[in-house]
Amino acid sequence: MQPRLRWMRGRREEGVGASRTLEWIGCDDAGEAIARVVRVQGPLCTGWRRFQAVALDAEAKVVELRPAEPPDGAGWLACVGGQVVGRGAVPLAAVRAVEAALDGE
Amino acid sequence: MPATPLDKIRNIGITAHIDAGKTTTTERILYYTGMSHKIGEVHDGNTTTDYMEQERERGITITSAAVTCEWKDHRINIIDTPGHIDFNIEVNRSLRVLDGAIFIIEGVAGVQPQSETNWRLADRYNVPRIIFINKLDRTGADFFRAFATLKEKLDIVALPLQLPIGIEDKFLGVVDLIEMHAVIWDGSELGASFHIEPIPSDLEAQAKEYRQVLLDTALSVDDAGMEEYFDKGDVAAATLRRCIKTGTISGAFRPVLCGTAFKNKGVQPLLDAVVDYLPSPIDVPGISVAAGEGEEDGEYSERRRIKADPSAPFAGLAFKIINDKYGTLTFVRVYSGTLKSGDMVMNTTRDHRERIGRMFQMHADKRAEIKEVFAGDIAAFVGLKDTGTGDTLASSQDPVVLERMAFPVPVIDISVEPRTKESVEKMSLGLQKLAGEDPSLRLRTDQESGQTILSGMGELHLEIIIDRLRREYGVEANIGAPQVAYRETITRPHTETYTHKKQTGGSGQYAEVKIVFEPVARNEGVQFVNKVVGGTVPKEYIPAVEKGIKVQADTGVLAGFPTVDFKYTLIDGKYHDVDSSALAFEIAAKACFRDGMKKAGPIILEPIMDVEVTTPQDHVGDVVGDLNRRRGMIQNQESSGSTIIVRAHVPLKEMFGYISDLRSMTKGRASFTMQFHHYDPVPRNIADEIMAKSA
Repeated sequence: MQPRLRWMRGRREEGVGASRTLEWIGCDDAGEAIARVVRVQGPLCTGWRRFQAVALDAEAKVVELRPAEPPDGAGWLACVGGQVVGRGAVPLAAVRAVEAALDGE
Repeated sequence: MPATPLDKIRNIGITAHIDAGKTTTTERILYYTGMSHKIGEVHDGNTTTDYMEQERERGITITSAAVTCEWKDHRINIIDTPGHIDFNIEVNRSLRVLDGAIFIIEGVAGVQPQSETNWRLADRYNVPRIIFINKLDRTGADFFRAFATLKEKLDIVALPLQLPIGIEDKFLGVVDLIEMHAVIWDGSELGASFHIEPIPSDLEAQAKEYRQVLLDTALSVDDAGMEEYFDKGDVAAATLRRCIKTGTISGAFRPVLCGTAFKNKGVQPLLDAVVDYLPSPIDVPGISVAAGEGEEDGEYSERRRIKADPSAPFAGLAFKIINDKYGTLTFVRVYSGTLKSGDMVMNTTRDHRERIGRMFQMHADKRAEIKEVFAGDIAAFVGLKDTGTGDTLASSQDPVVLERMAFPVPVIDISVEPRTKESVEKMSLGLQKLAGEDPSLRLRTDQESGQTILSGMGELHLEIIIDRLRREYGVEANIGAPQVAYRETITRPHTETYTHKKQTGGSGQYAEVKIVFEPVARNEGVQFVNKVVGGTVPKEYIPAVEKGIKVQADTGVLAGFPTVDFKYTLIDGKYHDVDSSALAFEIAAKACFRDGMKKAGPIILEPIMDVEVTTPQDHVGDVVGDLNRRRGMIQNQESSGSTIIVRAHVPLKEMFGYISDLRSMTKGRASFTMQFHHYDPVPRNIADEIMAKSA
């Protein structure tokens, strides 16, 4: 599959040991970011609340996901603009969901 | 420096359920790597790794055997392990010291109980592994059904690197999903070679689908691989292999290959996978030091790890001991440093020094002398005087203690006594040596009868031990019927005070102890807490109290079985300046235990086995009915082709002689496996029987 968008690494999480990528950003030919695939994280405890599943939005703000339990193994969100258009167990599956959504536009 | 660079060494194990083809696969590996010039067969009793007489006679692996071979400039040290649960200790200790493993899954039955058990063990030791779905030539083989059981029973992300071409007697070869071509074997005879050809047209669509799954999964662990994919719409085979290796080592997924070792198909790609995806000693994080070591000033930091480095101080773990006609051989996995014959090392577990005599690289029962060992090696040492399984050998420059090994609990006892008086000493020596080799074998003397009691993992385990005693040590022994290794425990707390007083004439004895006995959760063992304040029991007498309880706990209050899973807290006591002694406190503690435990709701526990019966459909009713009669609790039934697999939890007591009953019930068409699952209280009527027998 040759992706329609140009995908590049987005934010990363630096932890103990290896860092991990939290998002991939899909840009159009003009270099404009129009889609993202985002790692679903969680559970996240804020001291007074526990969020089962969260993800970062485009401004890196933590967004609570509902339903809290993602479908089996769907650890990545496919987002176009501010909309979630699908999920995937792995980033490439979410990328395909994004590309399919764009093809359907 | 080592002759083989560290990154070209693979220390791997081959493990599976009984009869899945471990030894057969090992034989093919040795043949294709040029280490043997003819292929041995399990059924002919001439395989390399099954070298013990009992192994050859019975066609099963009893002891793990180490062999070494070369493949594509890599040195592969392989340990072939037994499949039978009774010899699980061999798998346990092998996985403990290996860097990677091949799990063989039977193509007809899929994941079987012993595979599950071994898988959990490999999880415990974080062993990276690849899966080989074997026996695809067998009637009823189904790659996809066997593959599905990986997810169902092991709950893993299994990643196929190959798809089968044909199945059963039409199994020809595999589709290689990395190179996207077909690998076809030219015949199934000894040493069959293969050729490459395009993927058959009827498999193209399926191959593309699985290739996409492979890309999706493998690239998810490697950002550079993802970028290459985004740039080109595909990735190079080398990139894909790198990603697969990363995911295999991290455990993100488990690569799956397939074939039929017996028909000589699929073994060469399996060897490629060992080299490409399983880690070298420098690819793994290194072994942890034991708890308490390497923690600085109360910091709860991650424990220190010993990395593979030939120039670092020496550290190795003794993981297996065998006694043969040449003496005691201690198998050691070298984790760091270099060691020469004649060097001195510390046994840091037992805190004494050992001189290294001769060193050997083992090839099953054959040995080649070596003068030096390096980090990453597995070698056998001769001349160690007092080193047991699980002990650490280390340089005095850095006397680390490595994480110890955990051993399973024996569930079955037999009494054994020599037939002649002359054999008494020989038997004692022989049993001690056998117990030294096998940490899952325990030896004790029954205090009442004076008989020697052997405790092991199952009937077969003990049968082999007795057979070895006869063959290797020339001891003919009378064997008692196998007995269940019952345990005793308590169900409610109780506080007991006991005063031991003997002060009539001469030097007297005086001691008083007040102890709280409490039940703890299963498998938590015996715990002691000292809460004495104000010196009512002087410090020097506390060990005597502990000793008294420990000795008395070996013979419980109901039927004389060891008492387990309880806590005792010494809260108070009294002593006499003149008449108190360690002996007096030991006697008081013993009596306090005897009186106290009787009032703490004592019960007898029995081992419950996880039993899996594979039976043809028309005998399911008989099998289930019979298991129910044996106090079994049916857990589930599932069909696998034309057979039904019945899983049940059944008390071990009811399983003696089960194989002959099962055979007669099913005209020899059913088989079963069982392994220890947990201890449960025995029903009242059976407890009464047990107590009456012991009275």
